[in-house]
Amino acid sequence: MKAKNDVLTGQKILIGLFSFLLVATLVIVAGVEMKKSISEAPEIEITAESKQCISCHDQKGIAPGVVEQWKMSKHAVQGIGCLECHSAQKDDWDAFTCPESDVLVARHPTPKDCAECHEQQVQEFAESKHAHQFWVLKNADRAIFEMPIATRHGCEQCHNIGNIWPDKSVGECDACHTKHSFSKAVARQPETCGECHMGPDHPHIEIYTESKHGNIFKAKGKDWDMNYSTADNQNIPIEAPVCTTCHMDGNETQPMTHNVSARLAWESQAPWSYRTVWNEEKLGSWEKKRERMEAICKSCHAPDFVEMYMLTADLVNLQYNEIRRFFVKWTKRLTEDGVIDRIQADGKFLSNPVLNGWDEEPEKLMYYAWHHEGRRFRSGALMMGADFTQWHGIWEMQEDMIELMKFAAEAGYKEAQVWVDTNDPTKFVPYAIYDVPGNAWGINTRANLTPYLYKKFPNYWEEVRKNVKAAFERGLLSEKQWRYWEKRYQNKEYYLGTKFNTDDVFDIYSKRNDIDLEAMRKQVVEFEPPAKMFYMPKGKRISGWKFNRSRTNGRH
Amino acid sequence: MRVKEWLLERFPIDYQKFVEINEKIFIKEPIPYHMKKWFYAMGATPLIIFAFQVLTGILLTFYYIPSPEMAYESVRHITEDVRFGFLIRGIHRWGSNLMVIALFLHMVRVIFTRAYRPPRELNWIIGVLLLLTTLTFAFTGYSLIYNQLSYWATTVGTNFFKAVPLVGNTVLNFLRGGENVNPNTLTRFFTIHIGLLPPVMTFLIFLHILVLRLHGVAEIEGHEGEGHYPFYPSHFYKVIIATLFLVTVMSALSVVFPPGIGEPATPDQTPIHIKPEWYFYPVYRILKLLPLSVGIYSLVAGLIILTFWPFIDELFKQKMPKVKMNYVFGTLFVGVILILTVWEAMVF
Repeated sequence: MKAKNDVLTGQKILIGLFSFLLVATLVIVAGVEMKKSISEAPEIEITAESKQCISCHDQKGIAPGVVEQWKMSKHAVQGIGCLECHSAQKDDWDAFTCPESDVLVARHPTPKDCAECHEQQVQEFAESKHAHQFWVLKNADRAIFEMPIATRHGCEQCHNIGNIWPDKSVGECDACHTKHSFSKAVARQPETCGECHMGPDHPHIEIYTESKHGNIFKAKGKDWDMNYSTADNQNIPIEAPVCTTCHMDGNETQPMTHNVSARLAWESQAPWSYRTVWNEEKLGSWEKKRERMEAICKSCHAPDFVEMYMLTADLVNLQYNEIRRFFVKWTKRLTEDGVIDRIQADGKFLSNPVLNGWDEEPEKLMYYAWHHEGRRFRSGALMMGADFTQWHGIWEMQEDMIELMKFAAEAGYKEAQVWVDTNDPTKFVPYAIYDVPGNAWGINTRANLTPYLYKKFPNYWEEVRKNVKAAFERGLLSEKQWRYWEKRYQNKEYYLGTKFNTDDVFDIYSKRNDIDLEAMRKQVVEFEPPAKMFYMPKGKRISGWKFNRSRTNGRH
Repeated sequence: MRVKEWLLERFPIDYQKFVEINEKIFIKEPIPYHMKKWFYAMGATPLIIFAFQVLTGILLTFYYIPSPEMAYESVRHITEDVRFGFLIRGIHRWGSNLMVIALFLHMVRVIFTRAYRPPRELNWIIGVLLLLTTLTFAFTGYSLIYNQLSYWATTVGTNFFKAVPLVGNTVLNFLRGGENVNPNTLTRFFTIHIGLLPPVMTFLIFLHILVLRLHGVAEIEGHEGEGHYPFYPSHFYKVIIATLFLVTVMSALSVVFPPGIGEPATPDQTPIHIKPEWYFYPVYRILKLLPLSVGIYSLVAGLIILTFWPFIDELFKQKMPKVKMNYVFGTLFVGVILILTVWEAMVF
């Protein structure tokens, strides 16, 4: 009987133990899963002083929206209330006593306040070009052209991002991390960057929108959670990049950074494209910076694509310099010869000697060819904005070049007159040329059979090679890039697609094109409406009437 | 007494006989003595919870609309707007969870006491069918919420069929009413959940109890012949007390951990982490660990062993009379469920 009871006790212990384990574990798992299905509003706990600020602001209706925005912030959830950022000491530059209490309040939290918790980010920002004071270092005199009141809500609104505050901290965190919600999602939204990086002189948001990246974001981005963290070398969690993905966010190999200059290899906004030397002691050479950017590209793109894409964009930058050189040569010559004058006062020239002034046609042409069109040309090439490289870029630069030469010809320069008068197509490239066999997108078997320069100059690629090689030797291209260029050059018939014969396919389209042209000719070109024209100055019809296309297209 | 006579006039039955039968079947049902102890007396728990599921389920259908456009919204409406809707839904949801847990507990007791031993093997098999029906109930019910989690859990859950040889794709297509989880799936699952499964379940429960009654409740092995006592009042009140306890537990859980509504299902947007409901975690984990076909075959093998365990156990008993294989099996059963569930719960 005792043995029987022992067995029974053992059995009961086992059943009891396992039942307890099952109930406890499975109820906990079920409870945790149930909890996951709920999205709760987080609890907010803050200090009594901050509570006082909030209730008073709410009751008196003093910017109550600020409080609502703050409630949505991570700050609120983490118990960071008002005075954590807005506290002030008696002699602080922005201290004021709250009229409803005795609390001393800082009117303008600065990066110094943010750095209390976000030291690394503030530091990185201060070492970035976002914090660079170039616009007050160099071109302050343009405020005579755009008088000060216009700059208040003009230049200054954007360029305040590099503000030097009275407390000597630098930057403006809330330019991107909009107060008082400080949402990461808002900071990541391309339109946040686009608040400033837009318009005729640096249409980065427009270029992004045109790009495949921007297109995917537009189509699917609304479903993406943009509050993600990239602090710990994780995969990029979104399908296509936004601005911050490439310029700031981390990926598997790159740490997140608030130094937007850490991955940029060019000063492609400058009058001349040159390899950046910004903060080299900390960020390394331009090649190091480019490596960082490429590491981001390679999260999604094949290394070969990245290599070719970037090399092409780099050659666009180098090409820009040569066009620029032509503008500078002629503008300098016209200035030295006294045909045009530089702005000056008290025996001193104003502002940047490169800018020269804004009141004479060649100066304006040179300015636009750099500051608007030249930047669009380069930024478009770097950021997949084909239309900006093409129509808003090189096309308008070339037009400016024609105008410049016409001006010089009219001013009596024989050399310019020869340029204007000549019918030789090579007149449009009166500067050194860069090129690369093929493109990053694939092999186009026909595109490279047509360019005039290829046909006219059998030694075209040998000449171009000299320029590319010289650029490499000058440090404007890396050795890796030079080798990559050489690889394509050695096998250029392949990359240019000229070694493949696709005439039969091309002929089909060629015939279709003939049909199209014929249709156009028959439908409209040979058509003349029968009624007499009403416009007949001096009783004669005018033939060969030309419309002057507006030259200010795309300029502000 | 007038009412009784009035009724007997309209239902002319032999009242005396009716009372006798009632007494024999219910009131005086012989309950073995060991069931005086709570420890052994909870076999009715899944049945009690099932009764609550039926009740709360009917109430939920008053508001639930099984269409892709309205399903999520109606669940939200029940949870957020309808008075006590959150509680009814909470009890239904927690009821489903607790029913699965209660079944596991019931199985643990039956395995360790070898209550399935001959001649009760078939009732074990009916029990396994009840477990599978309950899991199907839970699975189809979860899909009806039509939020992002449940939509993708349904996708993952039905994907298993792909790996079943020969008929897998046909069954999958039949269940989903198409290639992917789509509007057809929702209506199908709704019909299965409220139309097909309740009668199946009721029938299986009836069979389970019928077989139980025909044999009588199994006595503890080695303690046979210790006597019986009548169902009423002692065991009857045990069931009533268990019912009240379960209402309290389910209500409390529904208040402390109310089920949320999550994000609406977006079929073209696969979330990063897809998971089925927790009671499928062991299955899900095995399928993640092993190549799909190996996983499926292991699961089928496991299911066959589980179903026919009473016979297998008997074979062991004859070959190795001294080894308690039911202890080994029971320990493995609980161990596998616990380890795989916790493992899956802890990883993404």
